[in-house]
Amino acid sequence: MKKTFAILVASTAVAIGAGIPAWSGMHRAEHASARTDDDGILKLASDDRLDRDHGRRARSDDDDHRYGDDGHDDDDDDDDGYGRRTSTNPAPAGTVAPPANGLFCSGAAPKVKLN
Amino acid sequence: MKKILAALVLTTALTLPGVALARPVTLTTTLKSYGGDGAYLAIYVTDAKGAYAGTMWMAGGKAKYYEHLADWYRATGGNAAEINGITGASVGAGRTLEITLDLADALFDAGYTLHVDAAVEDMRDSPNDVSVPLTSVNAGQAVQGRRYVASLAYAM
Repeated sequence: MKKTFAILVASTAVAIGAGIPAWSGMHRAEHASARTDDDGILKLASDDRLDRDHGRRARSDDDDHRYGDDGHDDDDDDDDGYGRRTSTNPAPAGTVAPPANGLFCSGAAPKVKLN
Repeated sequence: MKKILAALVLTTALTLPGVALARPVTLTTTLKSYGGDGAYLAIYVTDAKGAYAGTMWMAGGKAKYYEHLADWYRATGGNAAEINGITGASVGAGRTLEITLDLADALFDAGYTLHVDAAVEDMRDSPNDVSVPLTSVNAGQAVQGRRYVASLAYAM
């Protein structure tokens, strides 16, 4: 009887150890959706949005205004309209843990390869 | 002895679902040779109702450009907290971005859809350039994008 009880206790501990993190991840995913629902359903655009004045503004200032991360320093402070709603740049991968949005079960950062 | 066996079977049955709730998934996004600068890409998921569920990866680190990833921006407001720790460099024309991550099993065959918004300087924005439902059947199937994305595929 003692053996049975000991096994039950041990296996329950294992089940809880594995089950709670997994359940927690699922719960976060559901929570994320619910939170977004409060903000409004995402309406996916079916049509292209013209990039209004994008080129003109980009061309009107100096040369360090690049989307690409290929060597250009575009941390400019110019008033070209791009930065009106600028917020803080996100933390690069590997510097902090991924967001707890329920998608990343293990909490590990994605592995990325660029070919 | 029978009691012990029964207890083991029961607890194993309780344990296994927890262990099997994640799986490694590789997302492969190949861009067309569109002849422009590196593209900003937002790779994110919506649920069965079309509501934003979370971001998997952001290619491009300058927040001031995120408004050009229109659908993603509309859903998140460009909140950096959504992409802290999952942001990397923009992707050049003709190049392939390969991301491997442990995804929740619950995302598959449950109405979730994977989306890619794309934007390139001096070129037209492309919200929802490509999207594909997250299902077991679609795994390994390359889907063509509309403007900058040549193909998107995920393997499990």
